[in-house]
Amino acid sequence: MRKLVFELEGIQAIAELHDDTVPDTCDAVWEILPVEGMSIHANWASREIMLHLQGDKILRLPPEGPSSHGIVAPGDIVYFWRAPQMSRGKQLAYSSEFERELSEFAIFYGEPSGLGLAASDPARGADPTLQVTPLFATLTDLPADFMNKCEEIRHKGLKRLVVKRYEE
Amino acid sequence: MALGAAEAFADLDEVAAPRTTAWLQGLLPIRNQAIHSMENGREVYTLLDTQGPIPEENQTIYQCVGDLFVYHKPAIFVEPVWPRHVRTFLVIGFIYERDSAIRGMSGPLATNIVGRITHGMDALAHEAPRMRKEGFGEITISVL
Repeated sequence: MRKLVFELEGIQAIAELHDDTVPDTCDAVWEILPVEGMSIHANWASREIMLHLQGDKILRLPPEGPSSHGIVAPGDIVYFWRAPQMSRGKQLAYSSEFERELSEFAIFYGEPSGLGLAASDPARGADPTLQVTPLFATLTDLPADFMNKCEEIRHKGLKRLVVKRYEE
Repeated sequence: MALGAAEAFADLDEVAAPRTTAWLQGLLPIRNQAIHSMENGREVYTLLDTQGPIPEENQTIYQCVGDLFVYHKPAIFVEPVWPRHVRTFLVIGFIYERDSAIRGMSGPLATNIVGRITHGMDALAHEAPRMRKEGFGEITISVL
């Protein structure tokens, strides 16, 4: 099973890819690694940080696997794409590239995960051509230091996140 | 009100929320850490140094940009784990952009609307995203 390393300010967490349920998504993610950037905290989906994919790292993937996985748990990592015309508001906290199109990794790091306004968003969730959200990996464990770093982003601002292939 | 470098002014709605606004004025001035919502969208709030009680008054689940409101926020949206003997924190907050609404653990949450931000909304709407990137500072609320 292929694995990924998520490194947040030097603190690592290991994730396993869901090759069995979303193989094409996993292949596409694998091909663009390593990816790094400044991660920002979610404000609709509770305990989640996001790494926006930009420039030549942007992924525009079709839906794959269970189309309504819906529920996420701490440690789950979702590839998230949303059509540019479906952004919420002005998106002033994000880069200009993100303002046009959302392509990101969403890392759920604690409870509650996915709970909040994002859990009921028919405007964006009803049409699969406007939003693609496969669950493609899950952290094999959630180190407390990693969770604390994620929580710090809420209060202290952006932190650098590196995602790379795990080499045994 | 001041959030970081942004200054704004709100009118208290003493007609529709006489008891809540009177109670709130007894708490002012407030100077505390500002926090960005993780579950409600573009909401900024701060914890109050009391758990109330507050009357059920001038409540809505359809908050608008510029509304100033108080409500009991589920503690798990504030703390990383559930506090042992606390299930909610009383907060005062506002919404600075569309597509936002206050949620509880299982659906919309009613809030007491205590006032309306009449000047400085644009400044707040730029300062809050800046703080999301660079770190949150203090919010102050006082009677003019």
